[in-house]
Amino acid sequence: MYRRLVGLLVLAIAIIGFGIFWWTLTTTDTAVTTPPTEGFLFTTWPMFYSWQAPPLFAIIAAVTISLTVAFVFVGLEIRDINLSRRSHNSNTKPLAPWVLMDQTRGVFQGPVTITVVVPAHNEEDVIGATLDELLAQSRKPDHVIVIADNCTDRTIEIARERGVEVRESVNNQQKKAGALNQVLATLIHTAGANDTFMIMDADTRLKQGFLEAADKHFTDDRGLSAIGGLFYGEEGGGYIGLLQRNEYTRYQRDIRRRRGRVFVLTGTASIFRAPALQAVASLRGTAIPGVAGSVYDTAALTEDNEITIALKTLGALMTSPDECKVETELMPTWKMLWRQRLRWQRGALENIAAYGVNSTTTRYWSQQLGIAYSVFALWTFFLLIFLQVFASDVWIWYPFWLLVGAVFILERVVSVWSGGWAARALAATLIPELLYDTYLDIIFLKGALDIAFKRQAQWGHEQPGDRVTVASSEVGPAQAHPATHKNTSNHHKNNSHAHSKHKSHSKGHK
Amino acid sequence: MFETFIRDGLLFPQSLIESRFFVILATLVALNTTVYAALAIAKLVPKFVKPSWYRRGRTRSETRSIFPDADV
Repeated sequence: MYRRLVGLLVLAIAIIGFGIFWWTLTTTDTAVTTPPTEGFLFTTWPMFYSWQAPPLFAIIAAVTISLTVAFVFVGLEIRDINLSRRSHNSNTKPLAPWVLMDQTRGVFQGPVTITVVVPAHNEEDVIGATLDELLAQSRKPDHVIVIADNCTDRTIEIARERGVEVRESVNNQQKKAGALNQVLATLIHTAGANDTFMIMDADTRLKQGFLEAADKHFTDDRGLSAIGGLFYGEEGGGYIGLLQRNEYTRYQRDIRRRRGRVFVLTGTASIFRAPALQAVASLRGTAIPGVAGSVYDTAALTEDNEITIALKTLGALMTSPDECKVETELMPTWKMLWRQRLRWQRGALENIAAYGVNSTTTRYWSQQLGIAYSVFALWTFFLLIFLQVFASDVWIWYPFWLLVGAVFILERVVSVWSGGWAARALAATLIPELLYDTYLDIIFLKGALDIAFKRQAQWGHEQPGDRVTVASSEVGPAQAHPATHKNTSNHHKNNSHAHSKHKSHSKGHK
Repeated sequence: MFETFIRDGLLFPQSLIESRFFVILATLVALNTTVYAALAIAKLVPKFVKPSWYRRGRTRSETRSIFPDADV
């Protein structure tokens, strides 16, 4: 019923939009075009300008429709979250906060414990520093387990030197998710209501205070199922590093503006309450996709995104507090970025396809449709500018479109303000980020086409030859282990990505 | 000769800009750009948070803490 409603709603929006578009088209055709005026810049340089702008009703219609669509999708997401928040139904929403609270009311279940599980596959370069920083947290983890998954280097030795427990995966052919499933299966069944498990990558650097804040959130709210880390890009990496950092900065801003509402519980570092993992494992194969008994779905390319949707489906309350920050590695080359993003993109699409269209996945679908449309919008914009530049004999300035361009620049700069001057300067120049968006668009199309033609999924591993020291989690095909899944991306960025598409029109429309 | 030169762009004839195709493309891009400008402004404005005096005195019916005797 609800599903049909959403479908009809989207259809209605599309029809209304198309109708207004057509109406505008027919009126524009007969509209009088004002000839450009010649003027002089600084009294010396001749220039042409035109005050031509779209008709007011078209502007109002476009603004109304876009904001309505945005509000509808945000509204649907909030409605879904509120349904979970208010539910007492342990059959349909077994992880709803009230259901968890009903189970623990009036009885102290023990203090919050944090067991950190670090899957590692040949991580000798980074595992030492990761564990050192983890153990230096102001709130120490109660237990740290490194899962050595088919390691042939010194990972195990380095971990043991730090005094943490090391468990080796057994005949694991299912990469990171498989290794995690093996170990979590032995841990979660005996765990209590306030025992939590943090899954983090071997190259994740936790910001000081992460565990302390997480402990406080889980202590203060027994209905809380999971906390996702907020990731920001590491320093350095040059130009391509800055571009990625700006993306992450915008994501953090989005999450803050969403008041912590989670898009994705990042694989770099997220903490789960034991009952949440128990419910996911027991309901796979029935209420949610996957194999019964497995915490992670090994069929998912982006298993952190998948488990986020799984938890949301079961009604779980989750958050990304501002204090829970993690530093994430950046892809040092365009080639590695391509592989990483292609995997994220495919993973995101496959995840929502596995869940279908329902109230929980509506927002994720809308994001994917949003990017699809933004690809179309950006590329038609490029085509227009290209044709106009190479078909006109004079350059005409359109103050209206210059103003619109200024709005885009402002939005770009403000949204990365916390990233510092380099980030703001890059945003202000607009073109580099536009080209970066175009690069991501091409990856999006490639991912969509791959799925459409059912091409084999690539795990997006960088060849060892490509690697720069930092990226030790993305390993070669021979090792076949996707250790880094800070997936989030598609979603989140999409939002900023999609909205930020068109930037300036210094040159306008006829 | 001179006239033709003036009326053309670098790659395409000026008449392209007056074609129906171009008008449609320009209109489409103009609408899209307006749409994205509206969304950009929506992302620029500070998030509205209900002031505390506006929110009804919402006291929890019970504590959410893991400690049963904690403050509500």
